[in-house]
Amino acid sequence: MKRPVRLEPGQKLVLTANRLLDGRTVWWGADGTWDSHIGRAAILDADEAEVALLRATEQAQRDGVVGVYDTAVQDVVPPEPVTVREKIRAHGPTVHPEFAVETEQ
Amino acid sequence: MSIPVGHYQYDRIDRDFLQARIAEFEGQVNRRLDGTLSEDEFKPLRLMNGLYLQLHAYMLRVAIPYGILDSRQLRKLGEIARRYDRDYGHFTTRQNIQFNWIRLEDTPAILRELAEVDMHAIQTSGNCIRNVTADEYAGAAADELVDPRVHAEILRQWSTLHPEFTFLPRKFKIAISGSPNDRVAARFHDIGILARPGEAGAPVFRIFVGGGLGRTPVIGEELFDSVREEHLLATLEAILRVYNAHGRRDNIYKARIKILVQAIGVEAYREAVEAELAQMDLERYRLTPEAVAAIRARFAVPLLEAPADADAVLAQQRRDDPLFDRWVRSNTHVHRDPGHIIATISLKPGGGIPGDATSAQIARLADLADAYSFGEIRITHLQNVVLGHVRKDRLRDLWLGLAEVGLAEANIGLIGDIVACPGLDYCALANARSIPIAQKLGARFADTALQAEIGALRINISGCINACGHHHAGHIGLLGVDKRGEEFFQLTVGGRAENGAAIGTILGAALPEDETVDAIARLVDCYLGRRESGETFLDTLTRLGHEPFREAAYETV
Repeated sequence: MKRPVRLEPGQKLVLTANRLLDGRTVWWGADGTWDSHIGRAAILDADEAEVALLRATEQAQRDGVVGVYDTAVQDVVPPEPVTVREKIRAHGPTVHPEFAVETEQ
Repeated sequence: MSIPVGHYQYDRIDRDFLQARIAEFEGQVNRRLDGTLSEDEFKPLRLMNGLYLQLHAYMLRVAIPYGILDSRQLRKLGEIARRYDRDYGHFTTRQNIQFNWIRLEDTPAILRELAEVDMHAIQTSGNCIRNVTADEYAGAAADELVDPRVHAEILRQWSTLHPEFTFLPRKFKIAISGSPNDRVAARFHDIGILARPGEAGAPVFRIFVGGGLGRTPVIGEELFDSVREEHLLATLEAILRVYNAHGRRDNIYKARIKILVQAIGVEAYREAVEAELAQMDLERYRLTPEAVAAIRARFAVPLLEAPADADAVLAQQRRDDPLFDRWVRSNTHVHRDPGHIIATISLKPGGGIPGDATSAQIARLADLADAYSFGEIRITHLQNVVLGHVRKDRLRDLWLGLAEVGLAEANIGLIGDIVACPGLDYCALANARSIPIAQKLGARFADTALQAEIGALRINISGCINACGHHHAGHIGLLGVDKRGEEFFQLTVGGRAENGAAIGTILGAALPEDETVDAIARLVDCYLGRRESGETFLDTLTRLGHEPFREAAYETV
């Protein structure tokens, strides 16, 4: 069982996954849809994230995503992941600026 | 269609099998997409077909058996990069190629395109016998005793879909060479095989077992010194059976054969293999001269003809052009034919991404292979490309052609020839980014004159303890580690994969990413300041010991 994410002051949670069709990183929005831009992710506290994670995992196949989990972000707008790994997932590989998620439609 | 130089020619059975396998996988993909298969059910099926799910997309790893391609195959890889990926591919430390931006729904179509040129992605993942690697100079090098490719192909056929070895305790890697100069890291493989001539013309095989890198680096131990050709398959079968029966399956980190060999000792392992051989029907596994000849017949032999003055032409061109001369010094190897030479093409431009090639570069390499090396290309486990049979008097024309697409870097075996895994920019297992630190080091030492002055010095970078960048075997090794979400790098020195294989020694505590390049520059300065005439980095390290280098690395001004 995955350990709960430990949150530092000023941090909250977002849900993330990969899209089934193309594997792209996606983030769960407040309207229940998945989007490739972390700026559209719902920012959740621990209790909200627990409920949302359960629901999103149950609906993963219907929503066309795989590997749903929660990860810590700085509670700013747009949210910024805490770890290097999640920053790279959110923004794209650092070695190819032309592939930055922000530049995609 | 003519038989390709350098690799085995598929027949109808091979091609029918690939089509059946693709149809099977297409059905699995469709069932995954419609939800009939869960991700847990689908994952082992996609991995058996080389398809991973990484950080940003699916990654498809395509097998390049013993690292050898023909030009139509390479051209196809370039087309796949352009049509289905983001216009580039990444050559790996297992002589394969990876595409980093693949869509699941495109995968059956990609596999069909690969099958058009007799390629696939089978057994590039999973707990099975992976792509068998071989000497990148096979069949060409002057120092070679036995061309290992025919036996590499025999091992490929033996290990492909082997019913007993499809679900091993863990992945299994085999390398084979026929040169006294180990260019395949034989002692860092689950099984390493060194072929040499035996009596009556047939080769004999020295077999090492239980080597490996990863979180527990181990140098393989000699299991047998002289296995006769007729018993090669029986012996490998017995080694695998012992591992399959006794290798641990309860702990993924202790499941490789190296752990078993270390646990029971090589003597006990040898006894177990001999006991297995004693109860096997050896006749069933006997590799007959006729069977070997039948495989050999499906390899075309290059017609090596060169003008009598080819050597003199090359010598004059080197005198006339210092830049060309520098490239020849670092990027060529002596061919068995005096009119020919082996050219290694660096995929390590200063500040570039090790092992990456764009679709345009891939297409140009295919054209150059057709023009200069019988349409044959080799991918090295050091993430470079080799044209094995270049006429000496045409080498400069090749070099000029390479320069047009940015592939004329003169740094093979030098500090700029950095080996790096994809790291945290792509890999779901990684803890740190390998490529940016490789780019910074490549840029720091981009001057090829400086690289030549530094001499033989290999840097290997891994983004996690799984060691796909072979950092333990680097003269200088970097291991990326995660400390509270930040990237650090642990430095090792003194590793080597060639003859006299050694595991690098950790110098000290891991350094923050932004201090690592400077620390390595100080290591190099320490070597340059204290080396004696003719010494390489490893020579100086051996003479002085680690302490001066540790002090240099951790010196703070």
